[in-house]
Amino acid sequence: MAKYLAKRIGRSLITLFIIICVVFILMRLMPIEGYFKNFDKMTDSQIQAGLKEQGLLDPMPVQLLHFFQGMLRGDFGVSHSYRENVPVTEVLRDKLPVSVKLGSLSILVSLILGIPLGAVMARFKGRIPDKLGTLFIVFIQAVPAAVYYLFIQMYGTTILGIPLLFDAGNAKSWILPVLSMSLGNIAYYGMWLRRYMVDEINKDYVRLARAKGASGGSIMFRHVFRNAFVPMVQYLPSSFLNTVIGSIYVESLYSIPGMGGLLVTVIKNSDNNMVQAIVLLYATVGVIGLLLGDIMMTILDPRISLGAKEGGR
Amino acid sequence: MTGEVILSVKDLNVKFRLRGRELHAIRGVSLDVYRGESLAVVGESGSGKSVFTKTFMGLLDANGFISSGQILYGGQDLAKLYKEKDWQKIRGGEIAMIMQDPMTSLNPLKSIGEQIAEAVRLHQKVKKKEEIREKVLGYLRDVGIPEPERRYRQFAHEFSGGMRQRVVIAIALACNPRILICDEPTTALDVTIQAQIISLLKELKEKYHLTIVFITHDLGVVANIADRVAVMYAGDLIEIGMAEEIFYDPKHPYTWALLSSLPQLGQRGEDLFTIKGTPPSLYKEIRGDAFAPRNPRALKIDYLKAPPYFQVSETHKAKTWLLDPRAPKTEPPEAIRNLKNLEVMQR
Repeated sequence: MAKYLAKRIGRSLITLFIIICVVFILMRLMPIEGYFKNFDKMTDSQIQAGLKEQGLLDPMPVQLLHFFQGMLRGDFGVSHSYRENVPVTEVLRDKLPVSVKLGSLSILVSLILGIPLGAVMARFKGRIPDKLGTLFIVFIQAVPAAVYYLFIQMYGTTILGIPLLFDAGNAKSWILPVLSMSLGNIAYYGMWLRRYMVDEINKDYVRLARAKGASGGSIMFRHVFRNAFVPMVQYLPSSFLNTVIGSIYVESLYSIPGMGGLLVTVIKNSDNNMVQAIVLLYATVGVIGLLLGDIMMTILDPRISLGAKEGGR
Repeated sequence: MTGEVILSVKDLNVKFRLRGRELHAIRGVSLDVYRGESLAVVGESGSGKSVFTKTFMGLLDANGFISSGQILYGGQDLAKLYKEKDWQKIRGGEIAMIMQDPMTSLNPLKSIGEQIAEAVRLHQKVKKKEEIREKVLGYLRDVGIPEPERRYRQFAHEFSGGMRQRVVIAIALACNPRILICDEPTTALDVTIQAQIISLLKELKEKYHLTIVFITHDLGVVANIADRVAVMYAGDLIEIGMAEEIFYDPKHPYTWALLSSLPQLGQRGEDLFTIKGTPPSLYKEIRGDAFAPRNPRALKIDYLKAPPYFQVSETHKAKTWLLDPRAPKTEPPEAIRNLKNLEVMQR
């Protein structure tokens, strides 16, 4: 186990290193306007001096080395245009917690609602609960998210009297954004869990469990659900990540001061240090998500052996 | 055969609804199972032997149902049980089942020890963890799994096919049943393992005082284990008798044909015997003897009227007009007259 973990973590670090290098080099190909506040009014010599001051005229490997040195100290440079001369880490420190809290809450809600949805649909396959569930899933998958986001905002604020804008201190104002962010995941978890459970129900070992005299509920929970949940586990970390970063629209609808849309904004502004730091953050979370998914799978499924040379599947 | 009847089936009819049509899978079967015997139900694929035994446990597929008849067991009629709760008392605890394919019969994500323990918890009044564990280890030993302590914690994928079937048998034993239904338990195993599993079942039958109902189309297996043989064709029980009577003195033309197709009877350089044609469609009403269209020596009456049972001996009866005193004298085919000399038939 330890050996496998060390290997996987080592590989993840190499992946991250490559991502950083590529992003760093790509950033150097960006226009240099982003490094200055009032680029248009500067003379050539001023620009050169500015670049030199920021260490941008050094050979590429040296710049990369400096970046890594800074990274180890927790220094990602300063934002140039998004919030002038404020350290990147500070900008993120304000924004990240909001998105993480919203995302975590939304994942929690999705699990609490999505898993029973899938389980009930599988249990009553082909009957009314299954049909209603399918209707919901098809609706959520087929209708563009923006449509039902707006719908929720309109009716949620008018009928339920929930404030239109997000306010971290007001618990009520969390309801609509969390709900909006959860719907997609609820449908997703419900759909896949139903599918995996239906697969399991038709397997011989379930027939044997029935022949053993186990009750329907115990078969569903102890055999079918548990086995169907294993392949789901692999998705969870990645879907968590997607929820945290993919809520651009919801965050702008409710004016939530989170991470959503930040990357797009800083790329537009050529705020290179910000872009670098955010891409690095997303890449890290993504790599960790995959790693966690695999580790959770190996813990739950004894057929996947950790020590095997080309393990996993 | 004298002895206590443990399970009695009376005029059982089972139908399936398939795309708006009704398939008559079991057509009025009556059968008594005696305590402590091993009964083999034989017949080709689709003859209804699996469906027949599934009705004992309420395990018919959702579109199948018992249209009439009784299954008497322990003072109640199983044909009238509808509630899952009532069935759960029968399943495992009274009647247990071993299924065909051991490769898929076990839960891949639970240790085999846990799976046997689940059966112990369901059907035996043992509550303490230690006692349950001891019981499970005992069953593992009984089915011949070496190093039970280590094997307890292992998973199905760490076992070979034969070993998995032993685990499945251990699960059935752990339910503490009175009747054990073995639904082609050796079909998915290779020949050497088959013999081991058969002799294991024989051993366990004595040790646990089981009544065994064996479903198979392997007549070698039948000769090896069965006291009594019931031959099914097209959802009907056409001949039943002690194993010796069926092998050495078969009466029904279908039983003749079935025995003739034993590969052991084949002559080098000649094609093996096959029964021509296919079984009749069970969607339609069958008129006369269901086997008549495939029987080269069918009588006229076979096409008109279904034969009743003719008693051959106290334990042996068959549904064929050939046993009617007015029927022309017909001898069974040459090939199956000397089955006694055949190696597979020796016990």
